[in-house]
Amino acid sequence: MRPRLRSLCTFLLVTFLVACSKDEPKSTRWNDAAAALASGAPVSASAAPVAAGSTLNARFPADGTDGYKRVFTQEKDGFAEAKLQKDGKDVATLSISDTNGTPDARAKFDAASEKLEGKYPLVTVGKNQSSVLVGGRWQVKVSSQSLDADQRKNLLTKFDLEGLSK
Amino acid sequence: MTEPLHTLLESLPETSLTTRLLGALDYVVPGEWNNIVSLEAMIRDVTGESDEALIQQIGERALVLFQDPEQGYERAVTVYRGVDSASTVAGAAALASAASERFEILSFLRDVAPKPDTVQAIDAGAKLAAELVAFTLTNGLPGDSVMDFANALASYGKEERIRVTAWLAFDAIIPLGPDFLAKIMDTLGSVDTSVLEENRILRFVSEHLPGDWGQKRDILRSNLENAGDRLKSFADERGMTQESLVAKAREYVDIADDKLDMLAAALDMSTNVFEHTGIQTVARRIVSRAYGEI
Repeated sequence: MRPRLRSLCTFLLVTFLVACSKDEPKSTRWNDAAAALASGAPVSASAAPVAAGSTLNARFPADGTDGYKRVFTQEKDGFAEAKLQKDGKDVATLSISDTNGTPDARAKFDAASEKLEGKYPLVTVGKNQSSVLVGGRWQVKVSSQSLDADQRKNLLTKFDLEGLSK
Repeated sequence: MTEPLHTLLESLPETSLTTRLLGALDYVVPGEWNNIVSLEAMIRDVTGESDEALIQQIGERALVLFQDPEQGYERAVTVYRGVDSASTVAGAAALASAASERFEILSFLRDVAPKPDTVQAIDAGAKLAAELVAFTLTNGLPGDSVMDFANALASYGKEERIRVTAWLAFDAIIPLGPDFLAKIMDTLGSVDTSVLEENRILRFVSEHLPGDWGQKRDILRSNLENAGDRLKSFADERGMTQESLVAKAREYVDIADDKLDMLAAALDMSTNVFEHTGIQTVARRIVSRAYGEI
């Protein structure tokens, strides 16, 4: 094929692909999961009964800890969440979840090489989250796009982990 | 059948009259709102994570949470949507979004009747009640006391914040002026129950409020009493005056000086701020929870 013709063909092909891609869904990565949900039994987010979120609130670090303002943001069965703010800006998200509802979440702690306070298996999730498992049931997390792993670990110690494990 | 979370987000337009007007409010809350229209982009924004397997795991958990009726997230979307569909005139939204940068309000003026102040005030109170209902469905009642919605408003960010800013601008200050708070309170306190029952937005929101109409009226008023001062001082601090907001809106909508009452009615009919940002708010909260649970 002559070079000019070839470049024209390439141009047309690219134009065609760009035109097609506009009409396609923006992502296909969720299709399998969504299809599985649509075809199965009524969806429940919990595998087993879980604790009321309100029982978890008392285990969070107190308002004012390390100079942060604590604002509770979600409270659902088996899950409670708060954010820490400094100067009106969000710094970290704290959460406690009951893994009775999400037993798969426990598996990652089997490979934990570190224990917080010598007791609670500690793992890093992705690059912005630190998580401990307390009493084999309660998953306590600190997530932040600005704090490093040591700072997140320090915040984990500010939870009432002892009280939670009882 | 519930529409999955990811397609809900993907169905939001990247550009519409709604997004342009919200963009125009950026000067009030700089950088607060980005128009996120995919689940993947929302996960990256909430978590800052880039590992594809982790993003997949968070997204799949988010889909489950949204689909479980017990969790309330899907009902929250219903509330946000219902508020807008009760006020949108068929055709107006399509017409407005088809318009290019700026649209001639006269082109569909025949469909626009200015709202009497009474209707405007009830609409505004009803929309704020809808925000309260959707907040509770999305987040539960976080904290140990029955948390003041007003306190939550103070720490609102991102989509929540732009939505409340838009409410102040388009539902309160432009149509009702600087003493919007008193006007809404007076109206909600004084009109006959039958007037409340006939209001299209309130009729929809009331399905989600407990009690008889007397009790529903009390909820509307106490909600406004608790949140009102904070909202008013927010507007004052940010320099949100009727003049400055109308000038901003004029960059997008052609309107004569003596037609300001029509401006509010036309914007209400042709935009879906609650639905658009509400879906984003619910998605953000679900993703945050999914990240906490996996």
